[in-house]
Amino acid sequence: MKTLNFSFSTKLTFDNYVHDHTFALRCMPVESPSQHTVSCEMNISPFVPTRNTMDSFGNTITAGYISKEHRFLDFEINGRAEINLSNPKTDFMPCYLYNSAYTVPDKALKEFYIELSENCSAETPFDRTAYFSDKISDIITYEKGVTDTKTKASEAFALKKGVCQDFSHIMLSLLRLDKIPCRYIAGLACCDGETHSWIEVWNGEKWFGFDPANNCPVNEDYLILSQGRDFGDCSIDRGVMFGAYTRQLQLITSNLTEVY
Amino acid sequence: MFILKHLFCFALKILLLRKGVIYVINTVLNADEINQLLRRYGVKFGIYKNGQFKEQFFPFDPIPRVIGADDFRVIEKGLVQRADALNKFLFDIYHEKNIIRDGVVPEDFVYISSGYLPQCEGLTPPENIYSHISGIDLVEGKDGEWYILEDNLRIPSGASYPLIARELTRMASPDVFKTNGVADNRNYANLLKDTMDFVNRGGINAILTPGRYNSAYFEHSYLAELTGASLVQNDELFVEDNMLWQKTYSGGKTRVGTLYRRISDEYLDPLTFNLESLIGIPNLMEAYRSGNVAIMNALGNGVADDKGIYYFVPKMIKYYLGEDAILKNAPTYLPFYEDDRDYVLKNIDRLVIKDVAEAGGYGVIFGSDLSDEKIENLRQTIKREPRRFIAQEVIDFKDLPILENGEQVMRKADLRAFVLSGETTRVWASGLTRFSRNPDSFVVNSSQGGGFKDTWVLSR
Amino acid sequence: MSNISIEHGDRLYWLGRYAERFFTTMKSLERLHDKVIDRDSEHYKKYLECFGLPDTYGDSKNFFESFILDKNNTCSVAYSLERAYDNGIVLREEISTEALAYLQLAMDKLYGLKGNSLKGLAVTLLPLQDIMFSFWGCIMDNVHSEEIRNIIFCGKYVERLELYIRLKYRYQLILREFERLCTVLNRIPENTPYRFNEKQLSVMEEIIRDSERYSDSRNEVLSALAKLFEPSKRKDLVT
Repeated sequence: MKTLNFSFSTKLTFDNYVHDHTFALRCMPVESPSQHTVSCEMNISPFVPTRNTMDSFGNTITAGYISKEHRFLDFEINGRAEINLSNPKTDFMPCYLYNSAYTVPDKALKEFYIELSENCSAETPFDRTAYFSDKISDIITYEKGVTDTKTKASEAFALKKGVCQDFSHIMLSLLRLDKIPCRYIAGLACCDGETHSWIEVWNGEKWFGFDPANNCPVNEDYLILSQGRDFGDCSIDRGVMFGAYTRQLQLITSNLTEVY
Repeated sequence: MFILKHLFCFALKILLLRKGVIYVINTVLNADEINQLLRRYGVKFGIYKNGQFKEQFFPFDPIPRVIGADDFRVIEKGLVQRADALNKFLFDIYHEKNIIRDGVVPEDFVYISSGYLPQCEGLTPPENIYSHISGIDLVEGKDGEWYILEDNLRIPSGASYPLIARELTRMASPDVFKTNGVADNRNYANLLKDTMDFVNRGGINAILTPGRYNSAYFEHSYLAELTGASLVQNDELFVEDNMLWQKTYSGGKTRVGTLYRRISDEYLDPLTFNLESLIGIPNLMEAYRSGNVAIMNALGNGVADDKGIYYFVPKMIKYYLGEDAILKNAPTYLPFYEDDRDYVLKNIDRLVIKDVAEAGGYGVIFGSDLSDEKIENLRQTIKREPRRFIAQEVIDFKDLPILENGEQVMRKADLRAFVLSGETTRVWASGLTRFSRNPDSFVVNSSQGGGFKDTWVLSR
Repeated sequence: MSNISIEHGDRLYWLGRYAERFFTTMKSLERLHDKVIDRDSEHYKKYLECFGLPDTYGDSKNFFESFILDKNNTCSVAYSLERAYDNGIVLREEISTEALAYLQLAMDKLYGLKGNSLKGLAVTLLPLQDIMFSFWGCIMDNVHSEEIRNIIFCGKYVERLELYIRLKYRYQLILREFERLCTVLNRIPENTPYRFNEKQLSVMEEIIRDSERYSDSRNEVLSALAKLFEPSKRKDLVT
C-alpha cells in the first residue's frame, strides 16, 4: 500500500464575460477497494454552491451553475489517498466489451488487429494486453500537439502519433475487437506534471491497470480521477456557457507525490 | 358580404362485420367543413423542403377507422400487457439484467443497440416508470388479426391530431355522434396530465420543445394548452442545486417537477451526451439522477424499441408476466439463430429485411425488389453479420376507404395506439390512423404526403 | 404571480403590438383611401411622410396594394399580421387555441384578397376587423391571468399611441389613448420587465397634458415612448 498526496488545479479564463455557466467536474478521486480517499478538499472560484452525484461509471460529478457574469473559473483539489492494488476491483459493466464513440475501429485498425491476433500466442487477457501494447509502442510515436481531445482511435492510428489519450483509445479498440472488456482511465501519475490516461482490463474476475503510453503495467503510483468507456465519459471538466467570448484559455497543473 | 359556400355532404355506410356482430354506421360527415375548421385551428406539421421550413396542413380524411367494442377490448388488453412488459424489461436491463442472465434475450442485442445508454445504468426513474407514453404501431391483417409493427417508447407523437379532429368533427357533424356510440377520445389530455402529475417530483409540469420549427410543434403547444403545462425551450431552463428550474421574466425561478421532453436522448444534456447539442439542458442528468425531476419518457428507452429487440417482446411478456402475448408480432426471423438463418436465406426474395443499426425508414429492404445479384450479396452479408438483421414476412394488411376528389378509394393504413403508464396502465380509446395517399405505397408517414383519420372506438 | 418566462414575456408584448399595428394600419389606410377617392389622389404621399418613407409607388393603386398585401413591406397590413402570428404561435397555452385561430383566420382571409378587391377598401377590410374584434374579445375572455393580459394590452396601447402620434391624429385622441395606456401601465407590477420607467413616463405626461407643447414636441414624446421600458437606474446606496 502507498499513500499519495495529490493536487490538481485548472484555471479557465475567457476573453470576455460569460454568464449562465453550467459545469460538471469529474475530478474527485474514484473510490474503490484499491483506492481510498483519506481527505479531499475542493475550492472553486468564483464561489458557487455545488452538488455531488455519482454517475453510472462510478465517478463523482461535481455540478454547479453560475448565472452572473464572470470571466474565469478556477477549481482545485488537494488531498491524500491510499492506493492498495492487492484489494481487487470487481465493478463490471457489460458496455466495456463493446467499442464506443472514440474507439470504433476503421478498416485499418481492424486489419491491424487481425495481424496482431494471428501473431499473438498469449492466452490470458493480461498477456494479450502486454503483447498488443508492445506492438503499439513500436509503431505509434508519442508526440504532443498533433491530436486533440476530439481525436478518435482510428484517426490517431492513421497519424501514427499521439498522446496518452490516443494510446489508450487505440488499445481499447483492439482489446474490444479481441473480446476483452476494458475501460478508459483519466487520472494522475507520479512524476508527471499533467493529467494522464491509461486503461483497465477485465481478466474475467477483476480489473488490472495498464499504461499503454509508457507500455507498462500500472503500479501504486497512479491515482484514478475518472473512468468510463472512453474519454467522452471521463472529461475532467465539461461546461456550457453563454457570452460573447471568442477564446478560452485553460491552464492545468497537477502534482502527485508519495508520502513516506 | 359573407358568401355562403355550398357545402356538399357525404353519406357513407360502413359495415363492420366482426365476430358475428353487425354494426351499421351512418356517417354523414361534412368533409369540407371539417377541413376548413382544421385550417382555422392551425392543425399543421412542419417539414423542411430544400433547406426551407414550411408548414403544411395535415390532410384529414373524414371517414373514420372504426374499431368495435369487442375488438378493442382485446387490443386494449394486449397493449397494456405489452407496455407493462416493456417497462419491466427496461428496469431489468438498467439494473439486474435477469432476462439476459436467464438466456431469454442474448446480450449482444441489448448492448449493441444504439438506444442502450450505459449512462443510465443503475438509475431508477420516479415510480420505476420508463415508458410513460408508448406509441405502439399496429396493422390489421386481411385475416382480421391485429399485428404489432413496432413499439415507439422514446418520443412518440401524433396523439394531438385525432384529438383536435374529433373536437372539430363533433362541431361540424354532431348528428353522427348522436347514434353511433363512439367513445369520447377527448380525455387524452387528462390521461397525459394524470401521468405527469403521478411522477412529478415537486414543481410544475413542463413540455420541452426544440422550438417552433420542429415538425411536431403544433402538438407540443396544443398538449401544453390542454394539460396546463408550461411550454418551454432549453434556454429558459437551468439546473441549480441538482434541481430543474424555469427562469421567469421577473428574474425569479420556478421549480420543474416533470419534464415531458420532445427532444431525443442524445441532445438532452450536453454535459453527459453530445457536447455539441444546442437544444439540451446542461446537468439535467444530475437533477434526474438525484430524483428531483421526472423525465417523460425516461432516458435510454431506445433499447426496448429497437428493431432487434422487437423479436423478443412476446418472450418478455412470458418472462415477466407469465402470460402469453395477446397481440401478435409480425412473423419475424433472427438470422442470429441457425434455424431462422436457414429459413431467411431460403426465402429471402419474399421477406422484408431490416438492418437493426439503421433508424427510421432506412435500412428496410423488400427482397422482392432486389435483382438476383443483389439478393446474393445480401445473403452473403447476412451470413457474415447475422446479428445485424431481422427478417419479416410481408403482412398483407387491410386497406381502408378514403375520399379522394369526392370518390372512395382504398389505401394502406396503420394505427398508432397510445398507452399511458402512470398509477395504472391505460390505453387511449382512439389513436392515430395514418394512410398512404399513393395506392402502391406501404409507407404511411406524414412527411411523405400521407394523411390521417380519426379512430373511433365503439363503446358498445 | 404567474411564472412567465423571459421569452414569453417579450412575445406577449409584441403580440399586442403587432396585432394592434395590423388593426390600426387597416383603419388608417381606410381613412386615407376615403381622401384619395375624390379629394387628393396623391394624398398617400403624406402618409409616407409620416414614416419618413420615399415614394417608390408612383400611384395610389400601387401604394395600397403594397401597404395591404406585400409581406416584404414592413409597414404593411400583411407584414404586421405575419408578425402577430409569429408571436402568437408560441403562446398557444397562454392565449388559447381559440384566440390563435382568429389570427389564422385573418391570414387566410387576407391572402384570399385579390388586387381588384382593394377598390372597395373599407368593405373589403371589414371582415378582417370583425375577426380582430373577436380576437380581442377572446383574449379578454380566455386569458385568465391578469398579468399576462396586461402585458398584451400594454403592447397594444403603446403601439396605438405611437401610430396615432406618427399619423398626426388629433390631440384629443392622443390624450385619450395616453390615458388608456397609463391605466394599463399602472397595473404592471414593479420589478418586472414591462414596468414603466418613471422618468420617461413623466416626460410624456408633461408634454401630452399641454396641447400646445404637444404639437411642437411629438418627436420628444416618441423618443420617451421608445424608452418607456428601459430599466430605471437603481438609487445608489449611501454607505
